[in-house]
Amino acid sequence: MLRIVVGMGSCGVAAGAGRVKDALERAGAKPGITGCVGACYLEPIVDLYEGAELRRRLVKVAPEDAPVIAAAAESGDLAGVERLAIPAEDEEFLSRQTRIALRHCGVIDPESLEAYRAADGYKALEKVLGMTPEAVIEEIKVSGLAGRGGAGFPTWFKWNAARNAKGDEKYLICNADEGDPGAFMDRAVIESDPHLLIEGMLIAAYAIGAKKAFVYVRAEYPLAIVRLEKALGDARAAGILGKNVLGSGFSCDIRIKAGAGAFVCGEETALIESLEGSRGMPRLKPPFPAEKGYLNKPSNINNVETFANVAWILLNGGAKFAAMGTENSKGTKVFALTGKVRRGGLVEIPMGLTLREVIFGIGGGIRDGKRFKAVQMGGPSGGCIPESLLDTRIDYKELGATGAIMGSGGMVVMDETTCMVNMAKFFLDFTARESCGKCVHCRIGTRRLHEILTRITEGRGKEGDVELLEELCRGIKDGALCGLGQTAPNPVLTTIRYFRDEYDAHIRERRCPAGECAALRKFRIDPAKCKGCGACARKCPVKAISGEPKKPYAIDPAKCIGCGSCEAACRFGAVAKA
Amino acid sequence: MDTELVTLQIDGKSVSVPAGTTVLAAAEKAGVEIPNLCFLKGLAPYGACGVCVVEAEGCPKLLRACATQVREGMVVNSKGERALKARKLAFELLMGDHDGDCLGPCKIECPAHTDCQKYVGEIAEGRFSDAAATVMETFPLPSSIGRVCPHPCERKCRRGKVESPISIAALKAFAADETRRRGEAAPAPAVDEPALAGKRVTIVGGGPAGLTCAYQLARRGAKVKVVDQMPEMGGMLRYGIPEYRLPKAVLKAETDLIAAMGVEFVNNFKIGRDASLADLRGECDALVVANGAWRSSPMRIPGEDSEGVLGGIDFLREKPRLDGRTVAVVGGGNTAMDACRTAVRLGAKAVYVVYRRTRAEMPAEEVEIVEAEEEGVSFMFLRNPAEVAIAGGRVAGLKLQVMELGEPDEKGRRRPVPVEGKFEDLKLDVVIMAIGQKNDPAGFEPLVATERGTIAADRAYRAAFKDEAPGLAPVFACGDAVNRGAGIAIQAIAQAKETAESIAAHFAGRAFEGGLGVISVRDPERIDFSAYEKKPRESAAVRPAAERRADFGEVSKGLTAEQAMAEASRCLKCGCHDYQDCKLIRYAKELKTDVIRLRGEYHPAELETKLVSIERNQRKCIACNLCVRVCEEKAKKGLIGLVGRGFTTVIRPEFRDPSAVAGCAECRMCVDACPTGALRLLAK
Repeated sequence: MLRIVVGMGSCGVAAGAGRVKDALERAGAKPGITGCVGACYLEPIVDLYEGAELRRRLVKVAPEDAPVIAAAAESGDLAGVERLAIPAEDEEFLSRQTRIALRHCGVIDPESLEAYRAADGYKALEKVLGMTPEAVIEEIKVSGLAGRGGAGFPTWFKWNAARNAKGDEKYLICNADEGDPGAFMDRAVIESDPHLLIEGMLIAAYAIGAKKAFVYVRAEYPLAIVRLEKALGDARAAGILGKNVLGSGFSCDIRIKAGAGAFVCGEETALIESLEGSRGMPRLKPPFPAEKGYLNKPSNINNVETFANVAWILLNGGAKFAAMGTENSKGTKVFALTGKVRRGGLVEIPMGLTLREVIFGIGGGIRDGKRFKAVQMGGPSGGCIPESLLDTRIDYKELGATGAIMGSGGMVVMDETTCMVNMAKFFLDFTARESCGKCVHCRIGTRRLHEILTRITEGRGKEGDVELLEELCRGIKDGALCGLGQTAPNPVLTTIRYFRDEYDAHIRERRCPAGECAALRKFRIDPAKCKGCGACARKCPVKAISGEPKKPYAIDPAKCIGCGSCEAACRFGAVAKA
Repeated sequence: MDTELVTLQIDGKSVSVPAGTTVLAAAEKAGVEIPNLCFLKGLAPYGACGVCVVEAEGCPKLLRACATQVREGMVVNSKGERALKARKLAFELLMGDHDGDCLGPCKIECPAHTDCQKYVGEIAEGRFSDAAATVMETFPLPSSIGRVCPHPCERKCRRGKVESPISIAALKAFAADETRRRGEAAPAPAVDEPALAGKRVTIVGGGPAGLTCAYQLARRGAKVKVVDQMPEMGGMLRYGIPEYRLPKAVLKAETDLIAAMGVEFVNNFKIGRDASLADLRGECDALVVANGAWRSSPMRIPGEDSEGVLGGIDFLREKPRLDGRTVAVVGGGNTAMDACRTAVRLGAKAVYVVYRRTRAEMPAEEVEIVEAEEEGVSFMFLRNPAEVAIAGGRVAGLKLQVMELGEPDEKGRRRPVPVEGKFEDLKLDVVIMAIGQKNDPAGFEPLVATERGTIAADRAYRAAFKDEAPGLAPVFACGDAVNRGAGIAIQAIAQAKETAESIAAHFAGRAFEGGLGVISVRDPERIDFSAYEKKPRESAAVRPAAERRADFGEVSKGLTAEQAMAEASRCLKCGCHDYQDCKLIRYAKELKTDVIRLRGEYHPAELETKLVSIERNQRKCIACNLCVRVCEEKAKKGLIGLVGRGFTTVIRPEFRDPSAVAGCAECRMCVDACPTGALRLLAK
């Protein structure tokens, strides 16, 4: 009799895990649930356990597979489900990772306090409650843990500053307003292992002396909120959270605050404004939150992934954590590997691995036999890294030298069909929309950057536009009030730095080398391949295609708007970019 | 209490302030002005505008002076290259998104930047004398110029986008005439300029330039003498403009007012004959040359020296009888129109205007062409004189080359090109050349000249003697005789007004900066004019053609008071009420901001006029949030707030609900706090 566990993270649910679970129940099984193991491209995933041992991981499971899975679990004979077993090369996606923050994700039941405790849960907290706060901070210092939200600031330093700040009322805040497009590690941690976050936060609260804590989580993460809500209730009921934590005399409670969806609220001072009920706009720094934060009281803000490392460090020792990584960057980092990569999902690896090892080793390289072009690191605040720098190591300093940043861990892989100008435009569209509107450099500057990028991608670029972009970028970095504005130019600057030729092609030759910019694309029909079916002509929105049935059709380049409808409509591969 | 003093350096100046002071406040104490827009004493620092950024030694980032507290030993540089760049960028970004007019296009387009919007507004309110006084701030000839000016102001008048421009020139003439009729005509108030007091300035030339310069210098306390070759003052206004457009009595009244200010007029005084330029220079503290352009340009064709060929301005000055003669006027400008209509009045049997382009390209004003046609003048377009036919030693006709229009020239006007071999003959008795004027260098040879033969003057209107010796009185030059040569009267007036300012600056030891400097101008293509109700343009009655062609009486009867007020009330009031006090434009000027370089889409905006007694023009709003903060922090009301995100952020009544402002106590602190012209008090 094998235990059936269905991966019920948001990604799994989106892929149909809920229907698979229902089907398994209808087939008479009693499936348990777990969170997200990180292999998003393989969802829905069903694991078969014998005791604590994973016997078989089944991937891309459909509801129709439920009866055989139920039968296999019942009998213990796996022959019927071997066709669903994870292929060996996909197994590598998981086996090549080193998991600390994600160690329980996709393994334990996120809705069960017992499951968490069975996996050494809250042991670190128990240990910490017997230590002095200073010793806790020292252990974090030894570990070299740095803020995983993007800035990479030493965690111990912030804790220490908050601990030493004057005032007896102090607050701890978890920043779970994960806003970078393509980043979802924080969501995965909360959905898959909420107690790990609670334990990390309690340890931090103990270290700095906070009695109240908040998790500021974006409202777009409803499942995370539900699971965290339940975990907080269970922990409170078990005496782990609230008054007199584990009988230690230390008290701290955690509340959830759902954010309304503004990207800028991931900026710590804007987050505090929002937490206080005001419009989410950054404050001037200094004073820093450690001095004057929530309600002008000393406050410490860390990201979810940062907290997710804390319990492990306290349990295993800071030195063990620091043994992983490079001289500048210790421990592991979770990346959300997405884009044109073959195997996408959450990847946790020790610092110091090269980008190539992550993208090609773990990620399996580029899909559909295309060529790698660049990887965008750190979302809209980050930058792109070209093929020539793929041997750069995952390290705050080394990534920073490329013009990109470690960021919160978004890693969007692009292939030869991605236009880098259009990519920069995409991110500037995002930051311009998400600018809070407070400071001039960001409010108007990012808008102007977007306008210039738009005209370049539409073939209206002017000589000197690249220099104007660079000038604006430097000025915005210097003049913007908060991190959002100060980093918003990075995608523009790095694409200019590494792909200047693409900008020049758009501006001087009115040509998009990647063939992505619709305004600069033209299509033609290969007469040798065209069967004269007329499907393309019927789809053309501007009636640019004409011809007689059974004879090759032709596209009028003067009318063609480059939308690509014809290419998609052709069943014979006769339409291609001119 | 913390009374510890902190000493720091700002732009090289040492200053000691109590701990906790901001860099901005410390700079103020040190006498260093750091630009700021979103800061207001008494409110919490906000840090949005980013124009107060400064550099501090050892600090990798720029600091916002409004929010940064001083530290002991801090070395602040408010004008470092990096800080200036970021500050300049902030202004370029703000100005590129600031959809407002500092000044009306009328004032900008007027070469003399006469405050048209202001006097038009005064006329609309029935304050005619105030309107005349407003014009007199700029120049002393409002009745005359109101009659003759081709009014560039009206060309760009935004009302023209609704139906037709405001009749600005006629309004000016009306206000000045009416003021004089009431006996209230007076020079504008004296201007305090101690450096000019008692300074002797001699001006050569009593035309619009010389008179304006004299007037502006006299207002500033200078002792001014104007010398002129003709028997009366007025220059071309008197001797070039026909009586039927500008009665001599009107001009005389205006020049008399200048004389009454103590300006000495010396007529029949010819340079070279009565004194040399050097003589004049020797007896004054500054010399101004404004002798005009009094020579008609020749056609450069065979036979043009024969009897019966007259220069246009010579003809207008001498007005010989032409009874029974057939006359051709060559040219298409306003002088040609003056000449042909004068010829009609002098008894000519037939008058032709010969012009090498078509009517559409004629530089003359439309009304002049129409009135000439009404008076019986015939137009021959696409004809160019090739030769003057002579019989018995005098003019018998013109051989005309037939032309056609070719490619546009640099101004966009299509160039006339000859149709090869095609000629026509026109029989006539008199030819009047009205194709341009030049200055007469006789007597002015000691001055450095341009390639065109005009007097060379620099941007401060300084001219120079060829053998310049140190210690002599400075020489200035302006008007038709200078640089680009002859133009319209208001251009000469514009130069003369600036010349007077330049002379004042010279004696006061200031740098002279002419022009308007940096201003914000709306793009008329992006303004929606459809909301305005169309109202017809008022125009003055004119005497019937049959009557007026027989005498030199004034053609126009002028606007009536009712007409003038109705006409003036059509003004769209483009210019900003806050131009004088606007912090945004003041700093933009100081930093020489390029206001359109970073222009793009504008933030969404509307004009709210129903909010109690305050008008909110969001188009001009720079989102400094001062009104919001002052309402919340000082007035303790919190009636308005930011709505939207990023570029689309606007300030609105809370919850977008106009009734939210019902609690407004009309303290108007928000209006006072606004650093630009986005908020305005409306009359209750």
